[in-house]
Amino acid sequence: MSRWFPDEMPVPAANAETAGWWEAAAAHRLVVQRCEGCGTTRHPPGPVCPSCRSAAASWHAVPGTGTVYTYTVVHQAFIPALADRVPYVVAVVALDGAGGARLVSNVVEADVTEVRVGMPVEVVWEDMGPELALPRFRPRSARAAVAR
Amino acid sequence: MGGAVSGAGTGAFVVGVGETRYARWGGLAGTSEYQLAIEAILAAVADAGFAVDDVAGLSSFAEDRNDATFVAADLGLPELRYAGLSWLPGGGGACAAVANAAAAVGSGAAEVVVVYRSLCQGQFRRFGRGPGNGAAAGVRVPALRRARGLLDAHVAFTMPYGVFGPPVAYAMVLQRHMHRFGTTAEQMGHVAVTTRAHAARNPRAVMGGRPMTMEDYLGARLVAEPFRLFDCCLETDGACAVVVTNAARAADAATAPVAVLGSAQGAPRGFGHGQYANVGMPDDDYTSAGAGGVAARLWAAAGVGPADIDVAQIYDHFTGLVLLSLEDFGFCGRGDGGPFAASGALRWPDGALPTNTHGGSLSEAYVHGLNHVVEGVRQLRGESTCQVAGAETCLVTSAAGVPTSALVLGRP
Repeated sequence: MSRWFPDEMPVPAANAETAGWWEAAAAHRLVVQRCEGCGTTRHPPGPVCPSCRSAAASWHAVPGTGTVYTYTVVHQAFIPALADRVPYVVAVVALDGAGGARLVSNVVEADVTEVRVGMPVEVVWEDMGPELALPRFRPRSARAAVAR
Repeated sequence: MGGAVSGAGTGAFVVGVGETRYARWGGLAGTSEYQLAIEAILAAVADAGFAVDDVAGLSSFAEDRNDATFVAADLGLPELRYAGLSWLPGGGGACAAVANAAAAVGSGAAEVVVVYRSLCQGQFRRFGRGPGNGAAAGVRVPALRRARGLLDAHVAFTMPYGVFGPPVAYAMVLQRHMHRFGTTAEQMGHVAVTTRAHAARNPRAVMGGRPMTMEDYLGARLVAEPFRLFDCCLETDGACAVVVTNAARAADAATAPVAVLGSAQGAPRGFGHGQYANVGMPDDDYTSAGAGGVAARLWAAAGVGPADIDVAQIYDHFTGLVLLSLEDFGFCGRGDGGPFAASGALRWPDGALPTNTHGGSLSEAYVHGLNHVVEGVRQLRGESTCQVAGAETCLVTSAAGVPTSALVLGRP
């Protein structure tokens, strides 16, 4: 099991709308919410579809691949536990098969100087606790993409 | 009592401004943030030449710790008739709080309303140190928490990945802007260097005694690429306030009234809390200040356009977002904010649009942009330390990248 970030990172909070997303993540399933009325996907999850206002929704599993929409290399250790972990990459990933939904995450297992807008990435899961897992992303090589 | 002051627009006027001393975070530790709020309010009322008993309304914006109800009681106001809090978050709401005060004045709810903000990062959380928004950290076994509110549930999708605060979130916006439009670090640096030079003339500015060259800017440490240290606003202690009233009472003021010519507030569809907690908006919105609609409605309300603006106070939590605001408000084309700044346009006294003539949040103080309103009023009274000769109109904007607001102030 890989660990890339320390336990001292901020822990997420869930409400009635988002709890299902976190439950799926704990099982290493990457999902986005999809409206049962019109099929529109949305992220983060919400109480009704912003397009048709239907409250009926389901969790739609996505392949876990995508591309870097934008990113930043963080150099400042905002918490002491990150002092020996900087620089790290925070990225917005445009998810494949998610109807345009994007996810904030990290690019790990990469030279921080090589991360670029448009870089293909794939999900890797980090178990932060018994019932908490976070999706991170690593560069997806051309060969790995073919093998898939 | 003299005749009513005439002026176009909302019919409301700013007749008083007040500020405490501004200091680096922790520098005013001997006085509480709340005491500073009171001090600023009293100073603004005194500046207007009004009595404290004249104040009937109080207006602020989201994330204010200094509740208007307690302010009213502790000041002994005869009767609180208006207590407004804009939903627009943090720096997005300063202009909205003035607009809401103007609306309260216009409706007759209260004749004299004070808008205030006190923000002491030395006494509470520093915005440049994480984690923010009350997110728990340092727990022994990381586990999901029950959200304390909608924003808490939203930043759960950003903060655990190391988006500790605004610098990281907005760095990604500028990275995307650079990717799309070729914006450069040097172009952002022009904002930092120019406003630092303005601050050098302002005795209130925290960085007034710290001149900075482009080499200094480029040589500073990286915070979150592309942001270096001086792309990020200050973390300070201090408070300020402005007094808003109607034309009849403005005629009694001790100062030259400044007209609120127009105001607008809001956010585009799906913008949510802005790029800080949402990354799913269309590309054009993601790489903008989110203020295009606010700008269009502002110009319509004020009856002026960007070409009519003599001086601007543009919210500057980060240099790069000043560029995005300049684009949204139509001072240059989409993607052209960088070249516009690099042209020297923002520089007092000779630039096309002297901007942040007090030094802004980058070099005067970080009071969630209410100090930008104060500086706008000073310009139209002819009292700025970087006075634009004959200034008759000033644009004031609140934070880019969150639901926001803006004002056009004018000399009646």
